[in-house]
Amino acid sequence: MTASTRNGVTRLRRQGEGLDRALPYLLLAPALLLVLAVVVYPLYDGFRTSTQFWRFGRALEDVGLDNYRQAWNDPQFRSSLWVTLRFVFFSVACETVLGLGLALLCARELRFIRWARTALIVPMVITPVVVGIVFRLLYASDTGLLSTVSQSLGGGQVQVLSDPSRAFVGLVALDVWEWTPLMFLILLAGIQSLPVEPFEAARVDGAGAWRTFLDHTLPMLRPVLIVAIVLRTIDAFTTFDQVYVLTHGGPGTSTELISIYGFDTFFKFQQFGYAAAMLLMVALVVMAVSFLAARLIRRQATA
Amino acid sequence: MNDNYLPEEHALSRRTILQRALAIGGLAVAAPLLAACGSSGDSSTPTSTPSTGTPVGSGPTGSGKVIIGGFEDGAMAPFKDKIVPLFKEKTGIDIELLLEPYDSFKAKALQDGQSKAGQFDVYIMDDPWVPEFAAAGYLADLGAAGITADPDFSAPFIELGYWPPQNGPRVKGFESATPALVALPTIGDLQTLTYRNDVFTNGAPKTWDDLVTTATAAQKAGKIKYGYVFRGVKGNPIVTSWYPIFLSFGGVFFDDKWNPTFNSAEGKASADFFVSNLKAIAPAGVAEFDSDQEGAAILGGEAAAIIQYSGNAIKSDDPAQSKEVGKLDFGVVPAKTKALAQIGIFIHGVSSNAPNKDNAMTFMRWFATLEAQVALAQAGDLPVLNAAFTDPTAVAAHRLLPVALDQIKSGAQARPRMPDWGKVEDIIGTELNKALVAGKGGGAALDAAAVQVKAALTDLKYY
Repeated sequence: MTASTRNGVTRLRRQGEGLDRALPYLLLAPALLLVLAVVVYPLYDGFRTSTQFWRFGRALEDVGLDNYRQAWNDPQFRSSLWVTLRFVFFSVACETVLGLGLALLCARELRFIRWARTALIVPMVITPVVVGIVFRLLYASDTGLLSTVSQSLGGGQVQVLSDPSRAFVGLVALDVWEWTPLMFLILLAGIQSLPVEPFEAARVDGAGAWRTFLDHTLPMLRPVLIVAIVLRTIDAFTTFDQVYVLTHGGPGTSTELISIYGFDTFFKFQQFGYAAAMLLMVALVVMAVSFLAARLIRRQATA
Repeated sequence: MNDNYLPEEHALSRRTILQRALAIGGLAVAAPLLAACGSSGDSSTPTSTPSTGTPVGSGPTGSGKVIIGGFEDGAMAPFKDKIVPLFKEKTGIDIELLLEPYDSFKAKALQDGQSKAGQFDVYIMDDPWVPEFAAAGYLADLGAAGITADPDFSAPFIELGYWPPQNGPRVKGFESATPALVALPTIGDLQTLTYRNDVFTNGAPKTWDDLVTTATAAQKAGKIKYGYVFRGVKGNPIVTSWYPIFLSFGGVFFDDKWNPTFNSAEGKASADFFVSNLKAIAPAGVAEFDSDQEGAAILGGEAAAIIQYSGNAIKSDDPAQSKEVGKLDFGVVPAKTKALAQIGIFIHGVSSNAPNKDNAMTFMRWFATLEAQVALAQAGDLPVLNAAFTDPTAVAAHRLLPVALDQIKSGAQARPRMPDWGKVEDIIGTELNKALVAGKGGGAALDAAAVQVKAALTDLKYY
């Protein structure tokens, strides 16, 4: 081997060692860049925007945390946050109970159960805007299905969308109809993955269905249940399309979720800084909920 | 064979392949990004030189297209059917008309202006949008392209094309600016009364009291289901319905310093009348009614009267849409102290970042000609030139025209010329909607709204 060939080989080896060291970072780079581009930068830009006063489509001055203070003192923001929290609580609670009940029912190998399982997931695959339109047609006081049925039975028109309390209930009902299938699917998968031995032992010991559910099914299903609730809670916080089509937040502010108020503030009123501050505050609430839920899951796993 | 013995330039190791693959991959990713970054110099860039466009009346000598964005409305149907092909025939330029729902188009157009994307050449706007778009610099100065306002434009319409406004209060930052022509009226829309001639047998009711009295009697006699119908949904719909009542009672929205004055005694009386007297003769669920439902009530023969814009009024004579053809007539809106309607014209401006600015300017010039305006009126829309309102061929084809002209003479006012009217309207509309649901408390609703409007305008540094 000549000296020049030896030098060439040594250089190649050195290059190779360098590349070996850099390779993990190079392979990670695309994913990292993607995360930076679609998560970190928007968050940074959103935060920067939230500290600016915007008028006429441009940032006029830096105002520090004034937009956050303004949001906190804005009755409409507080009202929409309260409506959102109530909406999330009632929707997720109903969906959990119904989803669990349906999952328990469909976990058994009964006749027509496959058909029922398929039918149950249909609402989830319909576009939210379409769901909003369908429910608007259902609830409309003049020509809606509910009013038509009520009048054919001798009753009067059913006022859902023109009454604040009923409109809120109607919105929760829409969400429950659409998203119970998601809870059902997750919980059904959870139930079907449970070990059979504890249930057989309980049956041998003479435990009834309710006792078996409380002592075995529910404790073993709890981690899955928490995951399902967390996922649905995060999703419910961002509900927009259906409300936009169904009520646009009305009557009054009875169904004005924070997503609707944020959208109007940003796109209709062009108050970019203020809208960014509001929505970042909501993001913090959602992150706090998720963080608490994640800790709960970890504690369950280690218990 | 040992790789070590290959000549260096021929060695193709796993690492070399990886290096080259990374380089090629990097180039593949970077190329479109670089191309996108460098695209600011291509044909989509707005030209900074004054545009003149194809001379109007020179025949079909133009080419290319003009992208016009607008919002869906009944009044856009004649524009689409008649004006779009006529413009092509006269100038040789294609119109690409992109229509979307009202809120959706506004959001998209504002985004287009803010991002300078150049998605549209011409925005067809609702007139309250002009201050918002113009203050942000999204509209080109038409004067710089040599376009001036034709003296035959209806005076209350052309005033809306200037920013800052030539008359009335101005927002901070524009107090001393010279008004520039940034938009031209497209469709001269304004509210008029549509009523059932078998209920109001003596013609259009002259006052609000006449309307309520006659409609109530007709309801009691079983001649009609509802005496009056309107839009009660929060925000723009309910405020639009209440507006002519507010004006006719003598209400004024702001003083010269932008302090809210809409909760004056006159304003409160109009709101109380609206949420109680008018609700009493309207459908029970009117608080959820929007255009589709109020339209169904009047065209379906359930309601005796409605105040609406021309795009919906012209449906009265269309057997495909109305069950009551021949029973619906038009009139000036009822009065309390005055018979005033809301102006809600369609108005179009050229985007500051229009990719086809020359063609856009050609459209602006052509559409302001009497020929185009008469064609628009014949097709069923309200024109914007005075001469087109009285053109015999147009009047023969469009019986709403003389009534609209009467309404302009009687009085018609545009909404306050401020960039934040949307926010103000949202606040008033929400409070009025609450009162409408309750069927009382219209005056108190305006008091509550005034406090919120004052706070909102303070945050926006109006004072």
